[in-house]
Amino acid sequence: MTVADVDADRAAVEQVLNGEIGAFEPIVKRWQGPLVNLAYRFCHDRSRAEEMAQEAFLRAYRALGQWRRDAAFSTWLFALATNLYRSELRRNPAPAVALDHIAEPRDSRAEDGGLEERDQAAAVRQMVDRMPAKYREALMLYYFHEMDIEAAARSLGVSEGTVKARLSRGREMLRRKFAVHLVACKTQEGDV
Amino acid sequence: MTDRDLDRYLAVSPEVVPSSGFTANVMEAVRREAATPPIPFPWKRTIPGLAAAALLLVCFALAALQAPATASAPIPRALSVVLDTGRALGAGWIALALLISLVTVKFAKRLATA
Repeated sequence: MTVADVDADRAAVEQVLNGEIGAFEPIVKRWQGPLVNLAYRFCHDRSRAEEMAQEAFLRAYRALGQWRRDAAFSTWLFALATNLYRSELRRNPAPAVALDHIAEPRDSRAEDGGLEERDQAAAVRQMVDRMPAKYREALMLYYFHEMDIEAAARSLGVSEGTVKARLSRGREMLRRKFAVHLVACKTQEGDV
Repeated sequence: MTDRDLDRYLAVSPEVVPSSGFTANVMEAVRREAATPPIPFPWKRTIPGLAAAALLLVCFALAALQAPATASAPIPRALSVVLDTGRALGAGWIALALLISLVTVKFAKRLATA
């Protein structure tokens, strides 16, 4: 995000607050990609992600007057959207895919213990989806904000220390689950 | 699996491009929202309740003022009446039961999400 973006957001918000509804369009155009992608990380469903992002923009429009200028507009927008996505997913959770449905290893002779890189990544992402919300959200936002703990903390509305603690605990849980998953895969291979 | 492996697996996520009509849909919803007059606050329904609460408060204050506190009873008589009624109804037990229920629910929720 450039200084020009920050200034453009500020100017557009002032215009909207002065009654120029059309000035909201550049804001939507600028932030639609990040907001839809953030929603997609929560629900893994493209059309639902768009619906959630649309609702986030609508809420942002309603609450524009509450944006305090001490933080960037994008920070406020992400926090608002994160809040909305979290409550939306709590009300109507994304369908979880069982780990058994993750693709089987293609090449059992692979050096990494039987799973190819792509399958490992898919398995880890599935495990994240099945984690308790507070760890899942911390991990999701940390990676969404390109590993920026401060940004993740602002979006979640918690302290950086809390995010660090949740990341650490979340990673530990993932490592443990992944080890169990690897053993299960090896056992399956042995049976075949 | 190291932190670096995790970073590699989780940092990459499929990039979703919003559909071509997304901005138009959002703007349409925003314009609809702007065109809809805000729902007025339901004063007609609220005023009787507020008036009743205010009247009750005034009565309570008057009762408290009319019953002078004595040396043996440092709390106003009206307040002691309320306390006596609460005691008679077993308000303490009710409060304790509610508190235990709350703690139990919180504890169960914490266990379920841990």
